[in-house]
Amino acid sequence: MNKIKSQGSIRFTDANIVYPNGTVGMKDLNLEIKPGEFVVIVGSSGAGKSTLLRAVNGLNRMTSGRIEVDGVAVPQKDGRELRVLRKRIGMIFQDFRLVKRLTVMSNVLIGRLAHVPGWRAMFNLWPAHDKEVAMQALERVGITEKAWVKASQLSGGQQQRVGIARALAQEPAIILADEPVASLDPVTTHQIMQDLVRINRELGITTLVNLHFLDLAKKYGQRIIGLRFGELVYDGSAASVTDDDFRNIYGRDFTEDDVLDEDVVG
Amino acid sequence: MAPTSPHPTRPPPKPARNWPLWGGTIAFLVAMTWWSAHGIGFSLAELFCNAAGGKRLLQESWPPDFGFLPRLIDPFMETIYIAIVGTVVGGILAIPVAILAARNLTLGPIIWFADRNFMNILRTLPDLFWAMLFATAVGFGPVAGALALSVFTIAVISKLWSESLESIDMGMPEAVRACGGTWLQMVQFGAIPQGLQHYVSYALYAFELNVRASMVLGLVGAGGIGMILETQRANFEYERVTMIILAVLVAVLIIEQISESIRKRLA
Ligand SMILES: Nc1ncnc2c1ncn2[C@@H]1O[C@H](COP(=O)(O)OP(=O)(O)O)[C@@H](O)[C@H]1O
Ligand SMILES: [Mg+2]
Repeated sequence: MNKIKSQGSIRFTDANIVYPNGTVGMKDLNLEIKPGEFVVIVGSSGAGKSTLLRAVNGLNRMTSGRIEVDGVAVPQKDGRELRVLRKRIGMIFQDFRLVKRLTVMSNVLIGRLAHVPGWRAMFNLWPAHDKEVAMQALERVGITEKAWVKASQLSGGQQQRVGIARALAQEPAIILADEPVASLDPVTTHQIMQDLVRINRELGITTLVNLHFLDLAKKYGQRIIGLRFGELVYDGSAASVTDDDFRNIYGRDFTEDDVLDEDVVG
Repeated sequence: MAPTSPHPTRPPPKPARNWPLWGGTIAFLVAMTWWSAHGIGFSLAELFCNAAGGKRLLQESWPPDFGFLPRLIDPFMETIYIAIVGTVVGGILAIPVAILAARNLTLGPIIWFADRNFMNILRTLPDLFWAMLFATAVGFGPVAGALALSVFTIAVISKLWSESLESIDMGMPEAVRACGGTWLQMVQFGAIPQGLQHYVSYALYAFELNVRASMVLGLVGAGGIGMILETQRANFEYERVTMIILAVLVAVLIIEQISESIRKRLA
């Protein structure tokens, strides 16, 4: 059942990120993520969840320390090396980030940009193989019938599926999902979370998901990482995480704002 | 989420108008106008005294010489051609100039600074200057006119478009970067789709300006309708001059209506 991959390991060693205005985004982080893990990162707003995710693909630069992906340090400046790394790391965003006026297919093909010669992408002359990869990515999220529809005509859940398909089209070793369900309704939220879990099982892609809903973290996470003021304050399995652990991560009692299905509280 | 206060707060009282500032500004404007009018020898009294001469000129200019109309077609088309070539050449060259001048897309502070200054130089010098410059290089005529308008078009589009590019949502460009895209791909797939409508709109606007500018350039020898106007005026053919002015008025209005309706539809 599980196609075990040996790619997609991430290691943080004494990693620090201080933003130019002095805000600490990441503090002395030591963390190891194994190939194929499904990790949910929780923490209140501003805890450093996005900072952590964006450090993995070099969108955020470190002040000190080291992050390695499959044993190779994440380059800290723009250039070919960083692009080579990013080619293997898909990213999914809260706001989907699609080109609304283009078709679903064109959006998914953006995931192939780093895989084809520049002139081909520039003139929209995609090799058959890459179109096939994009179509298979759409198949995996079950929206092949929308391939030639404009992205602007899709519902939020469908747009996020296109976002996932674009990441899959990269044939990535790692997927980073930054609050992928924060702008979706509860039903769609569960569907998208199930998609992410299923893809992780089927393809063995290491998956890091930022969530701020506790019940979602517990329900879908395999491993849960808790952040507070940029520091790692919890690291354990989702099965054994307790309400006390969550209280500690959030530094306060949690309320119905922290869960998706309100009846879970109390 | 911060809890919202149960009592809506009253808006603060409207600040009182700053009367000394207003009074000072108006006095300054009046003084400036009086001083400037004096400087160029402009006076309302003289304007009335010259009215008689103006009346004679008007009589000589009426009725317009409609028989002259067919001979206007070729020069008019030449004016349009000059405007089209200027808009297309300038419109294409304006693309990189605008992108590199947008703070959020540029390739680095040095390139940004150089490009900004380049744009400022293009904009500071008037189109007549560029026409003279190109005339010395390729000789007076339509080509010099089209080149001058190309420069003018770069100036217009790059200024407007770089500013509108600076206000795009950087989410999509970042997404392109995140999947390993190059700078050029970030621009092509992340930024341009958001800026395309504005670009087309500014290009059409530049074309409208170019049609008018191309007539003015004709006056100094760049060909087209402006040149005919100048030769007829020099020959005191005032009824033909009236005809030309009427034709130009109608043509420009039509072109602007078409262009404006396209731009409206884009917005
Ligand atoms: N570009 C930035 N410049 C300055 N401060 C930032 C920047 N990005 C994030 N921060 C700050 O860093 C902290 C962590 O932010 P973030 O990683 O976005 O948190 P989270 O995703 O958990 O809400 C917050 O205090 C935030 O305000
Ligand atoms: Mg965040």
